[in-house]
Amino acid sequence: MKFGKRLKQQIEQSLPGWRDYFLSYKDLKKLVRLISSASPPLECGKAEAEFVCLLNDEIDKFNSFFMEQEEDFIIHHKELQQRIEKVMENGNEKDYKEELAKIRKDIVNFHGEMVLLMNYSNINYTGLAKILKKYDKRTGGVLRLPFIQKVLEQPFFTTDLISKLIKECENTLDSVFPPSVSDAGTLRGEKEALALAGEGIFQNTVAALLTMQEMRRGSSTHSHFSLPPLKFPDSDILHTLQILPPIQIP
Amino acid sequence: METRPALSIQRPGARQMNICGASGALSLSSPVLPSPLTQQRPGVISPLFSNSGVAGHMFSSSSGFSSDLHFSSVQLQEQHPRSPFVSQSIDSGTSVSLTRSVDSGVFQSASSNHRRESNRSWCTDSLPDFLDFPLSSTVPNNHLNSSNNNGIVIPSEDLDKPNDWPDWADQLITDNDALTSDWSQLLSDASVADPEPMLSQQISETNLPVQQPHASQQLPATSGDTCNAAVQSSSANSASAKQRMRWTPELHEGFVEAVNKLGGSERATPKGVLKLMKVEGLTIYHVKSHLQKYRTARYKPETTEEAEKKMTTIEEISSLDLKTGVELTEALRLQMEVQKRLHEQLEIQRNLQLRIEEQGRYLQMMFEKQCKSGMDLMKGASVTSENPLKESAEACQNSLANNNFEVESYSSKTKLSNVATASGKTSQLAKEKQIASETTVLENLEEEDAGAADSPSSKRVKVQRYERTTNP
Repeated sequence: MKFGKRLKQQIEQSLPGWRDYFLSYKDLKKLVRLISSASPPLECGKAEAEFVCLLNDEIDKFNSFFMEQEEDFIIHHKELQQRIEKVMENGNEKDYKEELAKIRKDIVNFHGEMVLLMNYSNINYTGLAKILKKYDKRTGGVLRLPFIQKVLEQPFFTTDLISKLIKECENTLDSVFPPSVSDAGTLRGEKEALALAGEGIFQNTVAALLTMQEMRRGSSTHSHFSLPPLKFPDSDILHTLQILPPIQIP
Repeated sequence: METRPALSIQRPGARQMNICGASGALSLSSPVLPSPLTQQRPGVISPLFSNSGVAGHMFSSSSGFSSDLHFSSVQLQEQHPRSPFVSQSIDSGTSVSLTRSVDSGVFQSASSNHRRESNRSWCTDSLPDFLDFPLSSTVPNNHLNSSNNNGIVIPSEDLDKPNDWPDWADQLITDNDALTSDWSQLLSDASVADPEPMLSQQISETNLPVQQPHASQQLPATSGDTCNAAVQSSSANSASAKQRMRWTPELHEGFVEAVNKLGGSERATPKGVLKLMKVEGLTIYHVKSHLQKYRTARYKPETTEEAEKKMTTIEEISSLDLKTGVELTEALRLQMEVQKRLHEQLEIQRNLQLRIEEQGRYLQMMFEKQCKSGMDLMKGASVTSENPLKESAEACQNSLANNNFEVESYSSKTKLSNVATASGKTSQLAKEKQIASETTVLENLEEEDAGAADSPSSKRVKVQRYERTTNP
């Protein structure tokens, strides 16, 4: 249930409009259990087909959402570029500064959103892989390998375009931000950081990073299909940046 | 694992469907879905076709057919102008209801609920068949006709199965109660909504390599029959085929140019833009929805991403402190750093995952080869020892299912060689992107007398788990 919990956390900490589009991991797990316990050998084919269909639905869900977001990003990206061009031409000092500040903010948030979409893609993929592994384990099926090959080609997992946009964003930053005074390579400035860590894209990014790290801790079922453990050097800073949901006091 | 080349044609959306083509054999005990049911899900665009691969554009029936499409098209057209999230929420409604039905604990009813509710589940192998059906003369629209003919990227495999269509279509039509006339119309529409049309080159260059129809499923022969009901249910919505298109920056550029030529986003009409863009496979629906998004993005930049924008962090800061110039910038930088890091990690992780699966596939291939050679050997073996050999070969096949790669196999003559793959280093450092793994697979077989009566299970071969060493 470890992944399930992490996924749930991640969903809770993700942007509200996104929360419906993650993998229904828990339900699929239940289904796997149902299948493994309930179905007589004769129905195994049927059950598997049904299961596959559900998985495909999930994939459809991911794909639609992903492509929708991607389209939005493409449009937004172009808009930002146009705005930047306009601002560069604009001679007016005051407007220029304001607009530039806005643009900076927008770029950073835009960047963050795209990264979160990649995270969305990745976490759903991971979930799918896990579910398939569970299925094979419980039912002795051979579903995982061929199925995952198809998943790898799905639009929601082929994130090259988004990656490209992200990189372009990072490049545009240089033209929009003043040259950095300090060493920007590490996470520093905890004061601003703490102030930053309200709700929002930044918060989500931090959460995503931490979740990723936790998911990658070596597990008992570590196999050659598992990803190696992950440990960020600055993870303690990341932890301070994280704002946890308030504890419910009954 | 390509078993049916003809199936390899369909669009990635259909490809997915083929994965569950077996489900055609499934509990389609649910009766033909009456129209009210499809009305339940007006928001479903065309989930079946939702996966536009590289080709980007998915065919959908164009405006030429709008007169022929009945309620489904009306619904679909209506929902398009709405914000994309609306349709998505309807979709998500589906998954929620699906969830609920699963939780009900009754597997069978859950599955049939699922069938009824999910238009996407018309997994069928006959589906690609009818989609592959070359344009019949029922297609009045010349544009579509020609574009389809020109546009078939996927090669002649398309035409492999025209024969199946009539049978299947007949079944469909006879099975259907109320919507016969609609269905035949819709079917012909759907047959127009064929595989990816040819894209303008700029698009195909930049698009992602999903193009290769990777339909490698083993589909039961019966699925053609049994999927009819499901197909009928979903055809209403998806035959008008709002196939999702995958936009690219280049496409968008073309779009923007066209819009500007027409006098701006407010004045441009979808039809005009469509004409100007001259992109094959692009439909007015695609343009419409894209135009909608475009307009929203231009004139309400703050509300484009709805709630997300509301929660931008920097706004909080700027309201607190007025002299924030530098601090703001620094805060933004910090945010940027975190985001960059997440991005890097995601890339690394993704590459790792790809690698893992690659190797898994490779190993699988090796095992299959091994099994096959075991089987071949068997055939050459003497009659007396046939049975135990057979069993063990079967055991070999079964063991492929085992992800731990412990292979139980038996061969009297074969010895497998080591399979070694490249080794390298794995690094988790944020800045390093290099990923490598070290794998070794050792397989040893015991030799045995052909005449021994031992059961196959006594011959065990352990494949050493392949290890990956990582350098943190």
